[in-house]
Amino acid sequence: MATRLGLPNLGLGLGLRSQHFEHILKKNPAVDWFEVISENFMDSHGRPRYILHQIAERYPVVMHGVSLSIGSTDPLNLDYLKSLKQLATEVQPAWISDHLCWTGVLTTNSHDLLPLPLNDESLKHVCNRIIQVQDYLERPLIIENPSTYASFNNSTLPEWEFLRIMTEETGCGLLLDVNNVYVSSFNNDFDPVEYIKGIPHDKIVQMHLAGHQNCGNYIIDTHDREVNSQVWKLFQLAYQLANEASVLLEWDGNIPSFDVYHSELLKSKQYMDATFIGVENEVRFMDKEQVSNPLNLFEMNKFL
Amino acid sequence: MQKTVKIPLKNFQQWMQQLLLDPYQQTGFNPGDLLSDQLNAASIEDVICHSEKLTAQEHLGIYQRSYIARLRNCMSQQFSALEYALGETIFCAFADDYLASKPSQNYNLAYLGADFADYLENNRPDAPENIKEDWIDFMIELARFEYAIGVIFEMKAEEDYQLATIDTHENKLKLVPICALFKFSFPVRKYYSEFKNEKQPNLPSESESYCVVLRHQFKLAIYDLHKEQFEFLSYLKEQNNIAEAKELIKVQYKENTLLSEDVWNSWKESWIAANFFQV
Repeated sequence: MATRLGLPNLGLGLGLRSQHFEHILKKNPAVDWFEVISENFMDSHGRPRYILHQIAERYPVVMHGVSLSIGSTDPLNLDYLKSLKQLATEVQPAWISDHLCWTGVLTTNSHDLLPLPLNDESLKHVCNRIIQVQDYLERPLIIENPSTYASFNNSTLPEWEFLRIMTEETGCGLLLDVNNVYVSSFNNDFDPVEYIKGIPHDKIVQMHLAGHQNCGNYIIDTHDREVNSQVWKLFQLAYQLANEASVLLEWDGNIPSFDVYHSELLKSKQYMDATFIGVENEVRFMDKEQVSNPLNLFEMNKFL
Repeated sequence: MQKTVKIPLKNFQQWMQQLLLDPYQQTGFNPGDLLSDQLNAASIEDVICHSEKLTAQEHLGIYQRSYIARLRNCMSQQFSALEYALGETIFCAFADDYLASKPSQNYNLAYLGADFADYLENNRPDAPENIKEDWIDFMIELARFEYAIGVIFEMKAEEDYQLATIDTHENKLKLVPICALFKFSFPVRKYYSEFKNEKQPNLPSESESYCVVLRHQFKLAIYDLHKEQFEFLSYLKEQNNIAEAKELIKVQYKENTLLSEDVWNSWKESWIAANFFQV
């Protein structure tokens, strides 16, 4: 059976952020690939999409969404899918990904990646919708495990088991967000190593790394700082088990200079070696609770 | 011991969403009613697990806080000058109330503030008063302008056109595809630009002002206009013909010397240099 669904290992990638557009176009930095937030470009007919076309000519690009709402009980949003497919036709991404979550119902959008109860009903519901989306997009969908801050009494499946069955039933791939595993395990009292060992490793197409905020009794997936050592350790295990995958570092808040962002990504090379011993610490941040998950809104000051 | 409950996914999602959108049940709607048909499920603890460190309500609270914080953050980015003008506390109060009265319906956050100016207009703090406060009118105009700038930045338009030069015959001059005209009762453009240039503008007094926002090669430019220039360009947008626009201005100003050839030539020269015209 083909690993990673036969999709390529793109190497080490960064999220494409508007703060770095100019740097990337001028300097052509040695980054293997870029991941773009699909919604930032789908309905844009201005400068961001124009720049994305230029970057897609120079680098492999992957489209990562936050609004597919694959777990919602509302009907699939066909306008959304049409716009997503149009952008994919233009950009020719290596793949398209989104999250195992729901973002709203009754036509409301919370703009959050909300957790699902994990049971037979939600599994069947999600699988049906993944198949519909894949048929429409004419390509496999890559689904990411979300960071969660709650679990539910009517869940009957551990998340790794849910993901395993989901990939078997639909043929979709996995985007393993190692930081999300750590965040969810801390918040919901499960063993992150058991999770990493339990997911179907041959379906892992891509991995995400990111920084988080430890608030003491819970962790917020903030994407606004360096990767924590505990997450690096989990990544080290996951990368060995997956036998390689494309790796991407997310950074969506307090975005640093391109070079700082890139150098944080390059640390992952050390942890691809199973024998590397990193430094262990988990820092508690007592600053104000930050907002989780990426915001898909550009600041226009740079374009005026 | 935590209960085992069976709640259909649809009911669960409506219940959870209601708790995010209206955490203090200000609408008078009880989210528990969405679970009332479910055996043994009546409270948050019946649905959400507690953990070693947090209660079920504390787990839910993380989502409740981040829902409003995330959208406030977006409103703040979309209306940064307005937030400065109102001050963070008042801006957040308006934004929270707007978001509660009109939850987002679109996956694209760029539309989040689409109705904010209308909301401000319909919810003026001085609504019961006979004499209206000037500053509220300014805030409404500023909100409309900030949102419009975002729309112009993203809108679809022909980009592959040739700019006019000083040698282009005036009969061939056409406005570039994205050319939006604004008329204000306050100096909104000046206030907005000063804020964006990191100055700290004071609330302005009422004073009519006009501007044009152009987009060329995906970059925006904003220029002040005189009233007469605004009217001329408005006619030109309607008629798409320089001669007719000149004629209409002459009729409006009853053949006075407003638009003499000298005046027109100076406008034309500066507007061509500023990329107002395509061929």
